[in-house]
Amino acid sequence: MPTWIGQAVRNGIVTTRYPEVPASESEIPPTGRPPVPTQGPNSLRAGVSLCPVGAISERAVDQGKCIRCARCLPGGFEFLGPVEAAVLTRSALAAEESPGALSRPIPPLAPLSRSLHVFLVDAGSCNACNLEVLALTNPLYDSQRLGIFFTNSPRHADVLLVVGVPTDEMVEPLRRAYDALPAPKAVVAVGVCAISGGAFAGIEGLHDSLDQLLPVDVYVPGCPPAPVNVLDGLLRATGRGRRT
Amino acid sequence: MIGSSRTPSGRPGPTSANPDLALAYAADDGSFAVYNDYSSGHETIRPGSEAEGSRDVVATWRRTSDAWRVRPAAPVEAVEGYGVFTFPYGPISMGVPESGRFDVRTYGERILALSPVAGYKSRRILSSVCGQTVSDAALRIERLAGNFSAAHVAAFLSAAESATGASVARGELWVRALAQELQRIYNHIHVIARVAEAASQNVGTAQAHALAEEMLRVQGSVFGHRWLFGALLTSGPRRRLDPAERRALGGTLKRHAEAFERLWELFLGSRTFVDRIQSTCVVAPSVARDWGAVGPTLRACGIAWDDRLRVPTSPYTDLFLDLPQESSGDALARLLVRAHEVRASFLLIEQLLDRWPVTPEALEAPPSSLASSRGLGRVESPSGDLVYDVTVSRDRVVSIGMRSASQANFPVFALGLRDGVFTDFHFAWESFGLVFAEVDG
Repeated sequence: MPTWIGQAVRNGIVTTRYPEVPASESEIPPTGRPPVPTQGPNSLRAGVSLCPVGAISERAVDQGKCIRCARCLPGGFEFLGPVEAAVLTRSALAAEESPGALSRPIPPLAPLSRSLHVFLVDAGSCNACNLEVLALTNPLYDSQRLGIFFTNSPRHADVLLVVGVPTDEMVEPLRRAYDALPAPKAVVAVGVCAISGGAFAGIEGLHDSLDQLLPVDVYVPGCPPAPVNVLDGLLRATGRGRRT
Repeated sequence: MIGSSRTPSGRPGPTSANPDLALAYAADDGSFAVYNDYSSGHETIRPGSEAEGSRDVVATWRRTSDAWRVRPAAPVEAVEGYGVFTFPYGPISMGVPESGRFDVRTYGERILALSPVAGYKSRRILSSVCGQTVSDAALRIERLAGNFSAAHVAAFLSAAESATGASVARGELWVRALAQELQRIYNHIHVIARVAEAASQNVGTAQAHALAEEMLRVQGSVFGHRWLFGALLTSGPRRRLDPAERRALGGTLKRHAEAFERLWELFLGSRTFVDRIQSTCVVAPSVARDWGAVGPTLRACGIAWDDRLRVPTSPYTDLFLDLPQESSGDALARLLVRAHEVRASFLLIEQLLDRWPVTPEALEAPPSSLASSRGLGRVESPSGDLVYDVTVSRDRVVSIGMRSASQANFPVFALGLRDGVFTDFHFAWESFGLVFAEVDG
């Protein structure tokens, strides 16, 4: 007769060893990495007209806008950027030296250097970012082994993790949730919808970037970011992110 | 074309899809209504049209000052008395990870009435895609509800193709079916995990979430994206599936199917789990039929309706699909239906991989349409019947309407929970698989 314990023994240890070891191919699909131009300026020039969200200019790719739709691939781009793509400033996502700049060491957000308690707010997402964030609690990622916990109340949280493009209707609930967090606190914007509006930039009634509403401390690009991308962002808030 | 017919004038005509079920419509501005109609089936209706006036509206989603609220046409019985009060649950609560609100009328533990309030995360997607090319619009449509992306894009593209008269290569239809069935398996296992989580089945919850994660990884390896964004678009990140990859995929899915069977047997063997969801949030067949319920919610009430069986298109016309119903209409029945469908989807994918078109014909160039033309697209999403109504001119979207499974099932959820207790809420909510993003648009 099958038992839960027997099932658990049969499955063995399934938890990733990230960030001790690099993310495996199964943990990070191609679109979990930022696209990079493989032919330098030629790729960038070709990509300008291919990108539907204006993420590519002749100088750089703005990873804070890229929705990973793959339309730029015929122009000479490949999803080869680093998994560790979270940054502390919006401008770093659009830096000319990106995506190399994305993986530079980041000091911890003092004094968030140990465990984190995270409160998730959906400001207007399609649900994919929510589910990727919540996947961190499943046994394959097990964020608790790294001291990252999700709380049921903003009063118990150190980090406000926001997904989705903020809608007019969510501005007030978002501000109230932020105010409810005790200091010191940090805001992590997960996904390009929260960073730049993503595929919905420019639509009336939406706020294209979270940092117009709240002070954002960590930006995690992706559409949606895979769980290891989110893990990287949260670890970077504590200065513990993996270096590439 | 899925589940629609067109009159000589080019406008969609009545379908014989299912004359026993209520129909519904979502307008460009997102407002939405469920109609009771027993004569013409699932014809979509423009609000304000002559056809709209001739039908009985049973429930609507209409914009209030701050959000969308589901309003039954016939007001539910008001309950007043000492200690009776209404409290808002949401829009931010950890019990429901999405942003949405429920106004709960209660005097303590018992729920006297429940009113879902949507609109907090309305991204105005339907109105925003008007004027865009079909391929650009698809980028937003697939992000309307990320966990149902394949169903939304398939229905949208189907409607656009119907409008323009474009033919689709057989291989393309195979790809769409594969993506939809993979996403159905993920969603059903995710729902089972969430219900188990509500029941504090911690070991089972962890193992179900782990299996759901494995399904996301399968989607990522086949299509290059864990949520299938771009999977059905020719510009997508990865769409090839050579024989070796098909064999590998078949082997992986066989292992996951076996893992699901072991998991499900353990869940059904847990009396505390089964007892907790049995008789919880019961939906009577008459309520499901009259209020326009769809998907597993409907099939859990003993009503055999599934677009894949009743209005089949290629490749479903060539595949064996058996979907047993349940009859008790409670949370357990909804989970049993989902478990049946997980098995059925694994079998469908096995058939798809066995008969994969080896030399898919090239996609015929869609003929440009000088005049506006309108088409319907319809698929069975993981939560039920999903309808798109799109008008296209010169490859650009002129107008668009959508009726999602969540829009149809929200009123039924609210009715089913009446007279329940608040501790039933999460079992009920999770068992319906409702998504606010699909309502808000």
